[in-house]
Amino acid sequence: MMKTNIKESEIQAMNKSFRILNERRKKLLDNSQTEKLKKQVKKIREYSINHLDDLKELAFKRLRDNGIEVIYASDANEALKAIYGIVKDEKYVAKSKSNTASEIGITDLFKEKGIKLIETDLGDRIVQFTTKKKSSHPIGPAAHLNIGDIAELLSKKFKKHVNEDPQEILNLVRQDVLEEIESCNVGITGANSLAAEDGSLVMVHNEGNISLVSMLNTHIIIVGIDKLVRTIEEAISVVKLETIYATGKTVPAYMNVISSPSKTADIEQILLNGMYGASRVVVVLLDNGRSKALKDCPESLFCIGCGSCIVTCPIYNILGYDFGYNRYLGGRGVVFSRYLRNEQICYDSGLFTCTLCGQCTLDCPLEIHTNHLIQELRCESVNSGLFKDKHRKTAQKIKRNGSPFS
Amino acid sequence: MLYFRGCVVRDKLPHIGEATGKILDKAHLDYHILENEGCCGSFLLRTGFTDEALEIMKRNLEDFKNEKIVVSCAGCFNTLKNDYKELLGEELDVVHTSQLFRDLINKGTLKPKKIPLTICYHDPCHLGRHCGEYQAPRDVLDSITVLVEMEKIKENSRCCGAGGGVKSAYPPIAEKLASNRLKDFQDTDADFMITSCSFCLLNLKDACEKLNNEQCKASKVKDLSEILLEALKD
Repeated sequence: MMKTNIKESEIQAMNKSFRILNERRKKLLDNSQTEKLKKQVKKIREYSINHLDDLKELAFKRLRDNGIEVIYASDANEALKAIYGIVKDEKYVAKSKSNTASEIGITDLFKEKGIKLIETDLGDRIVQFTTKKKSSHPIGPAAHLNIGDIAELLSKKFKKHVNEDPQEILNLVRQDVLEEIESCNVGITGANSLAAEDGSLVMVHNEGNISLVSMLNTHIIIVGIDKLVRTIEEAISVVKLETIYATGKTVPAYMNVISSPSKTADIEQILLNGMYGASRVVVVLLDNGRSKALKDCPESLFCIGCGSCIVTCPIYNILGYDFGYNRYLGGRGVVFSRYLRNEQICYDSGLFTCTLCGQCTLDCPLEIHTNHLIQELRCESVNSGLFKDKHRKTAQKIKRNGSPFS
Repeated sequence: MLYFRGCVVRDKLPHIGEATGKILDKAHLDYHILENEGCCGSFLLRTGFTDEALEIMKRNLEDFKNEKIVVSCAGCFNTLKNDYKELLGEELDVVHTSQLFRDLINKGTLKPKKIPLTICYHDPCHLGRHCGEYQAPRDVLDSITVLVEMEKIKENSRCCGAGGGVKSAYPPIAEKLASNRLKDFQDTDADFMITSCSFCLLNLKDACEKLNNEQCKASKVKDLSEILLEALKD
């Protein structure tokens, strides 16, 4: 049966957010500069995915040359092990919203080890206060919650009455995060793009939280190998386009480029680390099924994570986060789950709930043909014995009588 | 010419086949229907039963090759036009009824009268986004009625919810999507919603019946052939 975790009120709040977003970005998506950028980014992503192994090698070398530690994690467990090795003596660790961190299950690990993970992104922090901890959009995770829900969650959390006043909510969370971050030595973030030739990571944010988190003594960056591009210039193009499609703004408030630990050579050219920012930067380069996707379904890796595909998806509009896997939402998320996890998870994430209508391809800046990819995965799934009984019965009828109805 | 009706028309909505047959007769076209007409392969392809689909499609080729084919269903059209080419390397000579009707009107072979109705048109995913045909059905409707547009049309057409095996495996999802589409129709002042996919039509009609709404009866949703036949009556 279909998973139905999402509440009707959440669907309504989510679709309202999506309508506002759509209205805001409509003009921007139609203009010729966006069109030009889209073409450029398409070329960048195609090149990157076609040369991913080379870029991976190069990134290793250049990041290390820049003084960044690089750990290659072939799966989620290896990534968690590496991260735990760094944070094991910490009581508090700060974090910014990262779909890759969520993918490896970082929250569960920290809970298990008794380390408090301080989520700094407002939307993600709110989502963490819910029982289901479900995100409904990769950039705006709390899109499905209305201000009443949020005020109620915070009232419970802070054990005091919180008004349905957005500014009051912002102030409250801000103060809480700033107090908690005082006790942190380590910050964990994701990255939106990784420039191999330069050995640089590009992160975008609007709240300024990544700046805060990345200035702690140790900065851990979890990034999937699919985020690789050649240069910083390419990375900026990618994140700019992502911002346009995700938020309807041409640029985010912040783009951070991190290429080394904080350093100075102002005293006799003697190199010292950790002047103001992190003295140690560790990149966890994550595969976790991406190499398999590269081999079997490279098109799925073109994705830049803008979430545009779910905003207009007719299925997502009625099922919300029940259609997709973890933070990888909608049809493309279903496809990705096949490689991150397995066929069963992919089936459970909604492999057969897509109508293959193709709207997402039209709204995807990379024009990923998710309907084709889903159709191919369905074939694989059927061959492995994972199908809808109703479909098999209909297939038998067709075979016997040439019609699904008789 | 072969008129391939498709399973929905054959078994669920035969009046579309009858209307189309009458229109082809009025145009004095020489056409035939397969006695043992089977499945085009679409349902099997979309639900992952690819081996079964290929088996049927290869068999169909004997009837399809060297024929001019006209189809009623957008799903059949997409399959015959794109999947036979992609999977079997066979470029079939296939047109959708909306395209044939448009051409027959343009040539003057069919001379429909104007009928005093306001109509809106639902673009099926299979004909629109998947085959790029948005205009032919609109040209037909423009020549016989007053065409008004709903929200979410052409490239951005709101999916009716039937496709990809969803109607069969998840009827509530298909119904919910169809009722969203019917709401777009009700927001216009159109008398009827016309589509050019028998599978969309079946799903939209089913949703109308479930909704049990006076303003949106199943009879308000029609295939292009039905309204054209109306305009061709003496």
